[in-house]
Amino acid sequence: MGLDKIRTVLRSPRRLGLAVATVAAVALVAGCSPERTAQWGRLGLPEAASDRAEPMGHLWVNTWIAALAVGVLVWGLIIWAIVRYRKRGEGVPRQTRYNLPMEIMYTAVPFVIISVLFYWTVRVQNEVLDDTKNPDLVVNVVGEKWSWIFNYEGAAREVGEDVHDIGTMEQIPSLYLPVGETVTFNVSSPDVIHSFWVPAFYFKRDLLPGQPTSFQLTPTKEGVFAGKCAELCGTYHSAMIFEVHVVSSEEFEAHLKQLKADGQTGQLMGHGDQHRISGLDKKEDGE
Amino acid sequence: MTTATRTADVPVTTTTRRPVGQVIWKVLTTTDHKVIGNLYFGTALTFFAIGGIMALMIRAELAFPGMQFMHYETFNQLFTMHGTIMLLLFATPLFAGFANAIMPLQIGAPDVAFPRLNMLAYWLYLFGGLITVSGFFTPGGAASFGWFGYAPLSDKVNSPGIGGDLWIMGLYLAGLGTILGAVNFITTILCHRAPGMTMFRMPIFTWNILITSILALIVFPILAAALLLLEADRALGAHIFDAANGGPLLWQHLFWFFGHPEVYIIALPFFGIITEILPVFSRKPLFGYVSLVFATLSIAALSIAVWAHHMYVTGAVNLPFFAFMTMLIAIPTGVKFFNWVGTMWRGSVSMSTPMLWSIGFLTTFLFGGLTGVILASPPLDFQISDTYFVVAHFHYVVFGTVVFAMFAGFYFWWPKFTGRMLNETWGKVHFWLLFVGFHTTFLVQHWLGVEGMPRRYADYLEGDGFTLLNQVSTVGAFILGASFIPFVWNVWITRKSPKVTSDDPWGWGRSMEWATSCPPPRHNFEKLPRVRSESPAFDLHHPEVAREEYLALHAGDDDHSGAGDAGDDEGRGELLADNVAQAKADVGDTDATTEEDKA
Amino acid sequence: MKAEFWVFLGLAIFFAPVALVYWLMSRDPTGTTALTLTFFLVLMIGGYVFIMQRNLPKRPEDRKDGEIADGAGELGFFPPQSLAPLLCAATAAVVVLAPVFGWWLLLIGFGLGAAALASWIFQYYIGDHAH
Repeated sequence: MGLDKIRTVLRSPRRLGLAVATVAAVALVAGCSPERTAQWGRLGLPEAASDRAEPMGHLWVNTWIAALAVGVLVWGLIIWAIVRYRKRGEGVPRQTRYNLPMEIMYTAVPFVIISVLFYWTVRVQNEVLDDTKNPDLVVNVVGEKWSWIFNYEGAAREVGEDVHDIGTMEQIPSLYLPVGETVTFNVSSPDVIHSFWVPAFYFKRDLLPGQPTSFQLTPTKEGVFAGKCAELCGTYHSAMIFEVHVVSSEEFEAHLKQLKADGQTGQLMGHGDQHRISGLDKKEDGE
Repeated sequence: MTTATRTADVPVTTTTRRPVGQVIWKVLTTTDHKVIGNLYFGTALTFFAIGGIMALMIRAELAFPGMQFMHYETFNQLFTMHGTIMLLLFATPLFAGFANAIMPLQIGAPDVAFPRLNMLAYWLYLFGGLITVSGFFTPGGAASFGWFGYAPLSDKVNSPGIGGDLWIMGLYLAGLGTILGAVNFITTILCHRAPGMTMFRMPIFTWNILITSILALIVFPILAAALLLLEADRALGAHIFDAANGGPLLWQHLFWFFGHPEVYIIALPFFGIITEILPVFSRKPLFGYVSLVFATLSIAALSIAVWAHHMYVTGAVNLPFFAFMTMLIAIPTGVKFFNWVGTMWRGSVSMSTPMLWSIGFLTTFLFGGLTGVILASPPLDFQISDTYFVVAHFHYVVFGTVVFAMFAGFYFWWPKFTGRMLNETWGKVHFWLLFVGFHTTFLVQHWLGVEGMPRRYADYLEGDGFTLLNQVSTVGAFILGASFIPFVWNVWITRKSPKVTSDDPWGWGRSMEWATSCPPPRHNFEKLPRVRSESPAFDLHHPEVAREEYLALHAGDDDHSGAGDAGDDEGRGELLADNVAQAKADVGDTDATTEEDKA
Repeated sequence: MKAEFWVFLGLAIFFAPVALVYWLMSRDPTGTTALTLTFFLVLMIGGYVFIMQRNLPKRPEDRKDGEIADGAGELGFFPPQSLAPLLCAATAAVVVLAPVFGWWLLLIGFGLGAAALASWIFQYYIGDHAH
């Protein structure tokens, strides 16, 4: 996917007309394609590509069911009230001011609903944020204005040493991950706040300068997925995108070796400092 | 003339046309809360128009992948200033506008407690606002670090332009105005109520102004302090928000400690407007008065303890605490909803424009509330935080509240502001255009966000598959923009429509502002009604109806203590009996007069 | 004035445990400080209103049977018009622009401020509306 973003699309009025004319057709077609249908079933979420995405996907759909049930009830009450009790003549309605049992009921019931939601929230959250597993791979992600550096800790892999890949705005970087292996991500930033987001993982994490954090997940599906910076980081924020390639273990090892062959060894912590530091814990010393 | 006195009869002053210079001087030096309210309205609406035009530019750019009309940097400036203007220079001052225009009338006060402070607050807002947006006229352009100005993006290294300094100092000044306004409103409500107007006889709108002002008093000083610290970093070389000192997180805590209650500062007064309108057009008293007051207080209290739900994805805040507190807000909000529905239930609902806008608010805000509960759950927020889902959510909440309720309030109180009614037909055209435009713009954005479109993106790829929904959204935005034309037209064509002669043109007004003329005289009331409930105007104009209600409410309750979930109404029975007798006597008088005339 | 101070004291009663629980759960100094200061702010206002009302007779607006006539008479002093707010706000605007455009603006600000404050304070000692 080349970076044809700078290219102007709105070049001819004909093209504009075409776009408008095809809106209805596209809507129909898009609504019927199998991927779209599946996406409807997930209520808009892209197809899950990590083990952590699954519980979040369930929580998402079930929360929406509960929310829409409440929504439909209340919309129904509002519409019923304005249709059924529409003013008919000058008669004076009964001047009810309160109904205590009713009021207690509609205070208590929402409490039950949010308690259930809170219970599931905490459960799913603990599952998603669990990073205590011994990882098969450690990736140190650095976001800097306006691209990404992916440092792979390679000591335990076939490649035998740390390698990195660095992107630019013109050359979108690719993050390679082996399918089915647990990956720990350590994320940090040398300049401003960025956010590492892969929509197919249903997860994002801010890169706070001065406060590195980490999380874990296991990619479960091979393929190429979009990755984005999700926190405003300056002028070219929207150009700070990347691709995630979830590949087989062999392809992954091959990719690391290729990086090594290209001379991209060691780790880069960003901001033009070309210190190659292996091991994230020594990162503070790099300053 | 300098001291307001309460007397039974004040001679009616007649106004005559004065030269323009004199009028301008009069406005520049005014201390009349009604005039200041109008100044707030005019200024806030001007900023609203500017912010709206920026929104249309943003939507136009996003209709197609690639950059068509502007540079990335311009785009960032536009959404930064759009957010800043809409939140802090439109919605917040609009609260002050409605509070000024209506609150003193509702409590039977001749003016606010500190009229000069009131005017100072307005001027600070105006100058602060102008300074904030003046960044556009500097070489580097306006601030472009987003309306929440996250450090270190907002520091001198990452945002060197002077626009950022103007943004900081302008908002500081405007915020100072908000604080002074809040002090003024609180004092007025505590100290200038009419005799008999106990706290639990105040209209809900006034209650909400009180609670909103308390919120503003709590959080705006924190914003002011944080802004000055940020400027100290920028201008004096301080290192408060440096990454080495944990500055990025510190700023987020400070900003959101202000920022979340701010959302309620711009929501609660507008809930109040809706709460005033529903009973009038349902011909019923408010359902669950006391529980509404406590619901509002709970929302305000909770809103101060939920700030870090904006920071779930930092991985550096306590998730269960904030998730639980945030979800708790759903309970008092639900209480409000059911009280609103309960007010209409078994009523006699007439869909005049204020009511139509109120229903538009209820339906729209409900959806924003539901997505709010979803966003409160951290694991769901991990996916949708900082995406168009959030953009859609807060437009449903904030636009749904502020704009729908603002127009509801305008159509409702226009006679109090101007002495004239707005046109109903044009009001309905206005409503439907805006309603359709709004939902077309923002409903699809939920989907875009879940699919993977981050907010604040100037651009997206053709391959992302976001194009179609963005185009739907853009078309909706232009419909939304066009919906303001009927409103302006409405204001224009009704500028010379006949004056409203009755105190209560809607017929079923309940609170005190409907017991004075349209518009009210300089110190508001020529004669105050006796206050024995939260509906003094209704008790005055419809004593028979109120009496039936009162008797039914207190059936089998001789000492009137078991009033349950209704406001204070001790002595209301006697008042209503008096008023019924008075009304009968009046009718008798007129009958007698006509008899005499005949004779 | 019971309801008046309870609004504030009620908030104080809410913030005290919230600040404590928040500290215990998060150990975040920023938020805890803000919550604690919020507690003291509402406590201060509520406490002030509480102390004031003890020394005051029941006001007509506090009495459920308050009559309009009870509140008749002078309500307070309401300035009919004043240029002072505009001058004061202009001063503040000049002062806040000082860190942006240069500290020399403070000189203008102080000059203007002296005039503005004088106008604010002495407005009712001179001219038409002198006491």
